Amino acid sequence: MPTLDLNQRLRSLLDSPNLWRGSEHYLAATTKTSGHFPGLPTGFAALDASLPWRGWPANALVEIITPLWGTGELQLVLPLLRRISMAGKSALWFSPPCIPYAPALASAGVDIARMIIVTPPATEVLWGIEKALQDKACAVVLAWPGHLSGKHIRRLQLAALTGQTLGILFHHRNIRHSASVLRLHAQAEEDAMALTVLKARGSYRHDRIRLPWNCHE
Amino acid sequence: MNSKPFQSSLALHPLRAVRTDKPRGSVRSLTPSTKARRPTPLWYALWLPQLSQQPAIDGSQQVRLEQIAASLGSLSATVSIEAPDSFLFEVGSTLRYFGGIEKIRTRLHALLEPLLHSWTLPRHFHEAVSPTPAASLLLARAACNLLVYRKDNLRAALGRLPLHTLSLPERKKRQFHNSGLYILRDIWRLPSHAVAQRFGHAFTKQLEQSLGHVANPVQAYHGAPTFCSDLECTYAIENKQALLPGVETLLERLCLFLHKRELATMHLHMALVHEQQGRTEVEIMLRQPSRSYGHLQLLLETRLNAVALPAPVIAMQLRVTQFAPFSSHNATLSGVPGPQEPNADLNDLLPLLEQLQARLGNRAVRSIHCQDEHCPEQAGLDRPFGERMPKVIVAPSGAHEDAERPCWLLAKPIPLRQEAGRLFYYSSLRLLSGPERIETHWWSPQEIQRDYYVARNRQGMRLWIFHERQASSQHQARGWFLHGIFA
Repeated sequence: MPTLDLNQRLRSLLDSPNLWRGSEHYLAATTKTSGHFPGLPTGFAALDASLPWRGWPANALVEIITPLWGTGELQLVLPLLRRISMAGKSALWFSPPCIPYAPALASAGVDIARMIIVTPPATEVLWGIEKALQDKACAVVLAWPGHLSGKHIRRLQLAALTGQTLGILFHHRNIRHSASVLRLHAQAEEDAMALTVLKARGSYRHDRIRLPWNCHE
Repeated sequence: MNSKPFQSSLALHPLRAVRTDKPRGSVRSLTPSTKARRPTPLWYALWLPQLSQQPAIDGSQQVRLEQIAASLGSLSATVSIEAPDSFLFEVGSTLRYFGGIEKIRTRLHALLEPLLHSWTLPRHFHEAVSPTPAASLLLARAACNLLVYRKDNLRAALGRLPLHTLSLPERKKRQFHNSGLYILRDIWRLPSHAVAQRFGHAFTKQLEQSLGHVANPVQAYHGAPTFCSDLECTYAIENKQALLPGVETLLERLCLFLHKRELATMHLHMALVHEQQGRTEVEIMLRQPSRSYGHLQLLLETRLNAVALPAPVIAMQLRVTQFAPFSSHNATLSGVPGPQEPNADLNDLLPLLEQLQARLGNRAVRSIHCQDEHCPEQAGLDRPFGERMPKVIVAPSGAHEDAERPCWLLAKPIPLRQEAGRLFYYSSLRLLSGPERIETHWWSPQEIQRDYYVARNRQGMRLWIFHERQASSQHQARGWFLHGIFA
């Protein structure tokens, strides 16, 4: 049969080590065989499914771009903060627009003793974020750095890699060709949060995901 | 001045007593002895009853004891404070260096008399020297200024001591008196097992120790350590990067000092000396004692980078005066989870937080807390990291759990624009839920009566807004305010 023949030839081509496939190169070889993904679950099944790591990428920089502060971007990371603080790890918040309100975080199940807020002067923010990302004791860095250039993001991405830390940057501007591993655009809507995957390393999908409010686990 | 010379026991001349350990005229071995002779230990005891008779105010007695012990350090390597008013120091090993016991005694008086004079205390004190610390102490406290060189003579010297001069409970002294025992020799006439049976093993042990039959360890006094190290630069340094090798040398010395003494430090003081006599002082406080070279170096470098140098540096000095005993963390047995300490993980994070504090200031690193309060402003607090909270912090009570709270609470409520009966924040608002009435007690300093609503604007922001029910001191106008954002 010609089709079978074609399939067989395709498969032999795919099995060839000389063929480089962009969609899979980012994941380790063990992941492909065992089905175990390296990501930290986001707490939203729909979002997990559309990301190549089935969760937040570990040891990498993530950008969340919102048109305004307060349009639900913190809801995206609350399940992650709950998970890591329950596991006894800490998160550092760099220059958040407001001081996070402890009762709200506590009622969301986050251990507030493991949340440290850092409010540096504007000129020292990037220095602080880089130091925190490079530190292995710190599991997650949330940062509102203000103006960022592609050069800064590349440097922070390298820091996240050395410190094995997940860095999440919140800002307003979509920087093209940024070195971050995952770039999400978040827009609040009437009954849901609309997420667009602008970039996810290792995947060409630009999914649009709608997360209804209060849908996380 | 008390200048009575020592009474040498049994009319032995002190110096001769030391030298005639080996009988004259004995046949000397022709091969040189390879074993160096250890000097016989001699313990000098001092009794200064005036120290405890005139109690100094507010604990300065300990300071006086330590001051005396520190000055005795110039006479001996082993000094011990025998509370409350006596001292012991070993002179057998320094006898030859100082040139005999009488020389030591002269130096001792020259040391102590100015000290006692400065405290307006009587300058007279009691002293005794013998081969065992316990015997010296007994002799000194019995106020017989005696010098005993040889252990064999101790029994005879101690035998004359009245029993009431021993440091014994009053009941025991009466027991001796009633048994017709007045001096130590009376005790020694009794069979030793009978003494132990009648007066206790502790007492017989004390006697054995004073005769040198039982070891009597002495706890040596070590003064508070201080670390101070200087480094002269070979040329005047203007560039901060060029300072770093010098800083590292100083830190290496400090870490060696700390390792040798099993100490850690929390407070470093660095001084940079400038050409025109000026100094730049840099202080580093740590949250936990540390002696890790890498950690201290990182902190000091970060801190130096933030300091402006007014002039070239020609020398630097590192000084540490506050120390803490070093304690290492216990690791858990692999695979077995240990008991969870609170803040166990923040300990790993401390080096990073201290580095951030060193550059950004203590107030820039903050932790957040909950308080069981109705007033939303007081229910959540943020404080500089490491600051002790005055109140007991409790988890939010059940009342808070059903009511939703915003993740961002504005430091000050913002008045909302109102047009044609509609509220605006970026765009018109739609109420989602509410009201939730929050009132504080009328006696609380911040009296509030508010109805809280959750609203959403067209941009999709969920907002926590309230309606002020009465004009308070804070907000003159009754009206609508934005208080938080459910980000």
